[in-house]
Amino acid sequence: MPSGAIALLRATALPQAPSRPMTDVMVDFGRSPLTRAAVPTYARRMTSTRFRTEELAIEVRDLRKSYGDVEALRGVSFEVPRGEVFCLLGPNGAGKTTAVEILEGYRLRSAGDARVLGLDPATGDRELRERVGIVLQQCGVQNDLTVAELVEMYGQYHVRRRTVDEVIELVELTEKRNVRAKKLSGGQRRRLDLALALVGDPDLIFLDEPTTGFDPAARRQAWSTIRSLCELGKTVFLTTHFMDEAQYLADRVAVMRAGEIIAIGSPDEIGGRDLRPSEIRFVLPAGWSLGDVPTVPSRGRSLEGDRVLITTTAPVAAAQQITGWAVDHNLDLEHFSVTQPTLEDIYLELTGSSNHNSDLEEAVR
Amino acid sequence: MSSVLTPSRRRDLGLVVSQIRYEQRAYWRNRSRGIFTFVFPLMFLVIFASLNNGHHLSSLGGIPYNDFFVPGILAYGVIGTTFVNMAISTAILRDEGILKRMQGTPLPRWAYVAARIGSTVLIVLAITAVTLGLGVAAYGVHIRLSTQPGLIVTLVLGTAAFTTLGIGITRFIPNAEAAPVIVNLLVLPLTFISSVWFPPNGMPRALSSVAKFFPIRPLAEGLQTVFDPRTVGAGFNGQDLKTLLIWTGVGVILMLRFLRRPVGEPAIGEAA
Repeated sequence: MPSGAIALLRATALPQAPSRPMTDVMVDFGRSPLTRAAVPTYARRMTSTRFRTEELAIEVRDLRKSYGDVEALRGVSFEVPRGEVFCLLGPNGAGKTTAVEILEGYRLRSAGDARVLGLDPATGDRELRERVGIVLQQCGVQNDLTVAELVEMYGQYHVRRRTVDEVIELVELTEKRNVRAKKLSGGQRRRLDLALALVGDPDLIFLDEPTTGFDPAARRQAWSTIRSLCELGKTVFLTTHFMDEAQYLADRVAVMRAGEIIAIGSPDEIGGRDLRPSEIRFVLPAGWSLGDVPTVPSRGRSLEGDRVLITTTAPVAAAQQITGWAVDHNLDLEHFSVTQPTLEDIYLELTGSSNHNSDLEEAVR
Repeated sequence: MSSVLTPSRRRDLGLVVSQIRYEQRAYWRNRSRGIFTFVFPLMFLVIFASLNNGHHLSSLGGIPYNDFFVPGILAYGVIGTTFVNMAISTAILRDEGILKRMQGTPLPRWAYVAARIGSTVLIVLAITAVTLGLGVAAYGVHIRLSTQPGLIVTLVLGTAAFTTLGIGITRFIPNAEAAPVIVNLLVLPLTFISSVWFPPNGMPRALSSVAKFFPIRPLAEGLQTVFDPRTVGAGFNGQDLKTLLIWTGVGVILMLRFLRRPVGEPAIGEAA
């Protein structure tokens, strides 16, 4: 995203930061075309409930949902502090959509408790919808209206809102502002979805696979847009299939499988990722055997073809010994690399959809 | 009075008016949607009215054919706008996820539905003006001041019945692709026994009772009463209006049942 757009966002930022106590005046009615006297009662209630909201944007306790005999959610609990980017990962059918749609107010829970911005999403309260922006997965829009008309139309539903131009610039659709929605490309449509979710200046934004169908450059742009949202103190609840997206955006990720959360933590630490052994790989120089490679503190070492794989919890020391040995003998270690398991490795291991782990175990043994 | 029009209510009513404008803008921009509403009835009006101009219907006491046919095709146009168009567009809104998107906004559901109905009423006014205007200008139809109350009441009841039925029937339409087929299969055959194209005289009694059960014939005959030169009084046809009123009740119930269902909630047994 160009710095101009970020500056624009900052310029209109509400006096709000995630760590700041909630006693500040959060609703800036001055920017609304309505005068304070004309603010409807549900919106005035809105201000008062904000003081109760404390630090949690989302609070879920033992959430359950069944469809007949099928248990889609089997006791899910988590909390999302305000200002956090929280990411829900999981294979298809894990219950992600069910969980998100309960929080968005589209589905009713069977048991357990859920609070979104301190309110019960099941009652579908208007004051909640005033403060939540939703980007649904593959969701149609009134195709015969233009980008500007749609942003204006969805904006008018909100008492507190951003201006049309500001939102269109933020998602970089300025050149398309007078183009009908049906004429937009897939990526442009997705940015329009984001614009329609942001125009109400929400405190919490649900993003369901927001960059599906984006080219790599557009994804990077969308990521920085999302990042800048949390700099404003917005909370982002994200679901995605892309591990790099979760890695880049999320403060914390939760991995779901079969209706349960099986791991939760920061992308760098989830599933004990930071404690996992690193892997050192290189091509064994011609004329040398595995036994010639110096013994380093390691969990194991093996030879796959001409590739050496050393698994170690002390990658710095191990790498120094090996490179020192190579320099002493004037050897060129081709394809030398030190890697840690990626978020994707951990994810696949946790969700049981990989045999990568068994390979790793074998190598260690 | 101030308790009735609180700032919130006033704002919501403003939202309805504004939403009607957007609905109208979208409607008139979409050409394919106008076909059912405008092109079909006007095409039939021009074809049949021209072919039969100057003919008289002996079965209806010798009144000019077009005094019978123009209100008949007006009924057809109203049904196309309210029932056919509403059912198809609601099925599309549902299948494309637009209803779901709207549900996620602070716009109250009633306000959105009111705006969609309000927009439909404007289209009904337009089709009525064009049909009657053409009828008067080209086909010798007379608009009498005395029967205007009958025209207004019949149009209002017909619009109410078919609009609510159009929204309500969406519950029974599995997907948007099936919608045009289903609603036209319901409407078209009925028009042939419902006094739209020709008078229902000499029709087998069974067919006649079927036609009288459904709301199309009451609307067509109600409008034909208004334009029948033999009509004395305000142009009310009590029996037809009663049937339309009953169907409005049915339509309102069906519509509310359709609207009450949470949009994202799948049916029991359907996995997430």
